[in-house]
Amino acid sequence: MKLFCITFLLTFFSTAYLHAQDFEYGKITGSDVELKNTRLDSTANAMVIKEFGTASVQLDNATGKTYIDFEYHVRIKIFNKEGFNHGNIVIPLRIYRDGEDEIKELKATTINFTDGKLVTTELDKKKVFTEKRNKYVSLTKFTMPNLMDGSIIEYSYRMSLPSVFNFKTWEFQSDIPKLHSEYIANIPAMYNYNVSLRGVQKFAKQNAELKRECLSINGTKIDCSKMTYIMKDVPALIEEDYMTAPSNFKSAIYYELSDYVLMNGGKKSITKTWKDVDYELVSEKAFGDQMKRKDVFKELLPQIIGNASDDLSKAKAIYTYIGKNIKMNGFIGMYSETNIKTALEKHSGNTGDINLALIAALSAANLDAEAVILSTRANGVVNNLYPVISDFDYVVAKVNIGDQSYLLDASQPLLPFGLLPLQCINGNGRVINLKKPSYWYDLKASQKESTKYILDGELTSDGKLKGKLTTYSSGYAALKKRQRIVAANSVDEYVEKLDEQMPGISILKHSIENVDSLDNQLVEIYEIEMKVFDNLNADQSYFNPFFIDRISKNPFNLNERTYPVDLGAANEERISMIIKLPANISVADKPKDMSLALADNGGKYLTSTAMQDDSFIFNQVLQFNKPIYDSEDYLSLKEFYSRIIQVQKTDIVFKKTK
Amino acid sequence: MLKRLLVLILIAAAFNGYTQEQPDYNVENIPSALKSRANAVIRNMETTVDMRAPENVILNVKKAVTILNKNGEQAAGLYIFYNKATSIKSAKGIIMDAFGKPTGKFSLSNFLDESAANDFSLFEDARIKKYVPNVLAYPYTIIYEYEIRYKQNLIIPDWYATPYSDVSVEKNTYTFISKPDDKIRVKEYNYKGSPEVEKTDKLTSRTWKVNNLSALKREPYAPDPDNYLTYVKIAPEQFTYYGHKGNYSNWQELGKWVYDDLVKTRQTLSPDIIQEMNDLVKGLDTDKEKAKKIYEYVQKKTRYISVQIGIGGFQPFEASEVHRVSYGDCKALVNYTQSLLKAVGINSLYCVVYGDSYKKSMDVDFASMDQGNHIILCVPLKNDTTWLECTSQDSPFGYLGSFTDDRIVLACTEEGGKLLKTPVLTTAASLLKRKAELNLDKDGNINGKLQTNFSGSQYDNYRRIIGKPTSEQLKLLKEEYDIDNIDFSNLKLTQKKDSNPVTSESLDFTIQKYAPRTNNRIYMVLNAFNKTNSIPEVRNRTLPVYVNRGFTDEDEIVYNVPDGYSIEAKPEDREIKSPFGSYTIKVKMEGKKLTYNRKFVLNNGTYPADTYENFMRFFSDVSSSDNGKVVFKTD
Repeated sequence: MKLFCITFLLTFFSTAYLHAQDFEYGKITGSDVELKNTRLDSTANAMVIKEFGTASVQLDNATGKTYIDFEYHVRIKIFNKEGFNHGNIVIPLRIYRDGEDEIKELKATTINFTDGKLVTTELDKKKVFTEKRNKYVSLTKFTMPNLMDGSIIEYSYRMSLPSVFNFKTWEFQSDIPKLHSEYIANIPAMYNYNVSLRGVQKFAKQNAELKRECLSINGTKIDCSKMTYIMKDVPALIEEDYMTAPSNFKSAIYYELSDYVLMNGGKKSITKTWKDVDYELVSEKAFGDQMKRKDVFKELLPQIIGNASDDLSKAKAIYTYIGKNIKMNGFIGMYSETNIKTALEKHSGNTGDINLALIAALSAANLDAEAVILSTRANGVVNNLYPVISDFDYVVAKVNIGDQSYLLDASQPLLPFGLLPLQCINGNGRVINLKKPSYWYDLKASQKESTKYILDGELTSDGKLKGKLTTYSSGYAALKKRQRIVAANSVDEYVEKLDEQMPGISILKHSIENVDSLDNQLVEIYEIEMKVFDNLNADQSYFNPFFIDRISKNPFNLNERTYPVDLGAANEERISMIIKLPANISVADKPKDMSLALADNGGKYLTSTAMQDDSFIFNQVLQFNKPIYDSEDYLSLKEFYSRIIQVQKTDIVFKKTK
Repeated sequence: MLKRLLVLILIAAAFNGYTQEQPDYNVENIPSALKSRANAVIRNMETTVDMRAPENVILNVKKAVTILNKNGEQAAGLYIFYNKATSIKSAKGIIMDAFGKPTGKFSLSNFLDESAANDFSLFEDARIKKYVPNVLAYPYTIIYEYEIRYKQNLIIPDWYATPYSDVSVEKNTYTFISKPDDKIRVKEYNYKGSPEVEKTDKLTSRTWKVNNLSALKREPYAPDPDNYLTYVKIAPEQFTYYGHKGNYSNWQELGKWVYDDLVKTRQTLSPDIIQEMNDLVKGLDTDKEKAKKIYEYVQKKTRYISVQIGIGGFQPFEASEVHRVSYGDCKALVNYTQSLLKAVGINSLYCVVYGDSYKKSMDVDFASMDQGNHIILCVPLKNDTTWLECTSQDSPFGYLGSFTDDRIVLACTEEGGKLLKTPVLTTAASLLKRKAELNLDKDGNINGKLQTNFSGSQYDNYRRIIGKPTSEQLKLLKEEYDIDNIDFSNLKLTQKKDSNPVTSESLDFTIQKYAPRTNNRIYMVLNAFNKTNSIPEVRNRTLPVYVNRGFTDEDEIVYNVPDGYSIEAKPEDREIKSPFGSYTIKVKMEGKKLTYNRKFVLNNGTYPADTYENFMRFFSDVSSSDNGKVVFKTD
């Protein structure tokens, strides 16, 4: 993952003339017609020949408001039928509280080269559809006519975006390769954006020049910096399994307004330093103001806290109360969608409402509570160099009790106190305190995902294995099981389903402890019976001890890897069994004892089998100590799993002695 | 696809306004039998369809449902689909606690409005208004009343006595009101008794009632729920739909209307195209050859794009328009192909089908417009009726595949509608035949060659692999053969697209460390490529056992083993014969050659509920044999 920034200074313009401009619409060249996917990527079904975009800030004279004017033009070659879906175009448009993105001057053409002639088919304007998807997004959709193998499609449009806060993002990389992608951003001198570039692709050209008097506001002429970025031969971004958000890796340029100059010469800072951000967040109506609303909980507190006396019990009581009283409405966010009072009354809010309410309630009980803003895994990583507030999409609570800190998310049910949901475990979060400066905080899972199986059993002379299987689960392992129990409605139905899923094993009795005490590990105790052999009369019998959570498939079966492997969380599984054998049975052969380790303490796999008196004892440990492994580690992970699969194919050989 | 029009789950409940006498919805009053396995209970529901005029049909739903737990939430949400021909007149409701005491209310302004278009479509005009309550404590009761106006009466939504399988029903009533002289056709499915009919000078009303229906447990290998659920279908004879009018009382008349009103007028082609088609088939002797030529022309020229607006849910685009833009949905592409065939003098039939891998037929006894979701083309050649799937760019000529085979469809023709049966891809014909010859070395590595033919319904097994670039195919093949350390080379995928199409793969492969060893024992799973999983047990099975599709798999693997290996243990030869199918494995060692033969036949069919235990046992036996290992000993 590379994340670096481009800094540019208005005083340091290159004066060299750079040839960069839009290409002529519909003017197809011989090389466009001849282009094959032997160039750049032989697996490509479609390829962008040229793509050009330009964005600038404009003034709407009617309303006096500024907006972003964005022009887009692309020419794509479709190599074969598999690429036809790139002829179905969907352009998302944002809907804001006081306006929406608008699209105009849309034209689209399919160009085919048949019988030595270029034949063009224009898109029928009546076949452009607008679909209002929901309250935030509408979609402009159309499909290119007359597609065939080798078609060239070309379309262009102009878009106006009322929000100047985020200058138009440009993605140099997409799911098909691009021969040429070019973006010109005309940024008025009065605006200063933080610019960040993601991905590993390099610019073929990059240039900044001064453009005089590009914008006029109230008669004042303003200069612009004209930034040109060109990438060539950009490979497609292919998603892989176990991949963190693709947006972390996609080569693209992002902007966030940092400050702008007022007409009177003063400077209005938007986001500049963390100090400014702190001030803004703390005084923001949908953030700091909500954290401060102790009044909402003043009267409720005695009832919530009950007879809890120490701070930890108080915090736990408040955490449980908020979790039970405000349900997540399906939207995530770091800001309060309504306000915490309404959310509490309506029992419904986004994640911002819920966790800001939690912080306010904790503070109301005189606990030291802070907010931690973070970016969820799906949203990508945050920029650590300077504040890019739009990188963050989530807020959780941090409560400090004694010398311990606990991270809390009350919007997700069934989490133990102090454990964040997996989607929040993503690099650093920024702690926002109402009184102190903000600081970075490493977001780590407070508990390992861990499962431990203990089987105490007996192999009877009629070939059955009977015994008691006890499973201890904690961290995310317990969370997943509790979620399944809730989905099954009751412990009995959960066990019934479990039993039905394992036709070879019957569960005779069961008890599950700590289903509702989330802070303790979940303990499942099953009395099981399983038919291993029809009888034990043969001279030799083969028994596979790897029947609990057996690994039969290698999750890393491919030969190469481009991006890091994201397993989510470190995890550990232990299995130990003691099985008493009938008197006339002894062990003739057994799987090799294993001791495998991944480099840098990345993980290990241990097995051992031994006889002790009339019982055999089997132990297995499987550990992954890192949530994310480098792409270079892929082959070792593959080999690691492969060795596990190999040993799990081997048996214990029982021999009849009498 | 045809429009998923009005897939409205009708849910309602009776209450007489908020202020008047309110039934007691205390949770205590629910009979305990209705709480068993139920996530929610419909306490009282009343659905009324008042057909005031063909273009003015009022649906009124009143519903009181008690949500018992989190999983019952889906029954608490209200989802109302609408479009230009369907307007929502009102929707409101109240929420009650476990004691039946009101705690809140809501109205249409609290609903979210979203697009309800299918993902496979470019555009549809379908929209949805939805309301999902936020109640924290279970159980609670939610009461709705909403009213919808349909500006058409071609499709009257079906009424189901139990709208969700995990929801039990205390009381559910359906009333259909029409004018005394309206001709209405009605069919009840699995309804005991007959409706109450009330007639006055102005109105006729029919009422169906059910009481105390338990929730149903989901069971694997179960038949289509429409085989056992109670529901009512209604079709008025005189109808109107987006300005189109007509009448029908049977499939013959419905098919005639579809052809005359929706299809016939969309088939005009320019003389140029007609000439082009005649040039295309010049020199071909039989109609079959000509039809094939034209089908391949359409496949090469067009692609599937779904756009569904208004009458366009049922009416194809103009054939000339498809010709111009080279795309269309199933209706448009069938209509286009039919028009091109007509241009060279070949007659063909526009057929409405319910397309799904799960077979579903038109109801022979009850004609209605909502039973299909897809269109295919039938070419009735002499003694050789040929069926065409026009949305596919690579289906063989005459091959329907498992999406539309073996079911009754409606052919819409000039003479009227006819019910036809599509061909069956039988258990025997749906064959996978695989041969592999492998060499095992002393390190447990394997290398060898493999050849597989897929036919019948299995022809499409590699649909997502074929046509991809080779590097992508090799990646996808690892999902088909998900074996640790497997690697492929020399992959060849071919398709024979004649009247009995076959997909073939041939490849070389290696599997490192396939057969691990302990001291002097080597363990090897014989069935490397085709393992069957066991299926769940089901206690107290209630529904019949249904196997939708039968198939036959034959695998032969020859292993050449190293010198000095002898067999210490091997899976026993096995032959299982059961009504569900058969399973045979044979393991034979001759010199250094170990031959493994496996044949697995699963028959399609329906079997009594009490045979499930045997059915499960059959799979369980197959699965355990499939995982059988051979144990070699070295000298």
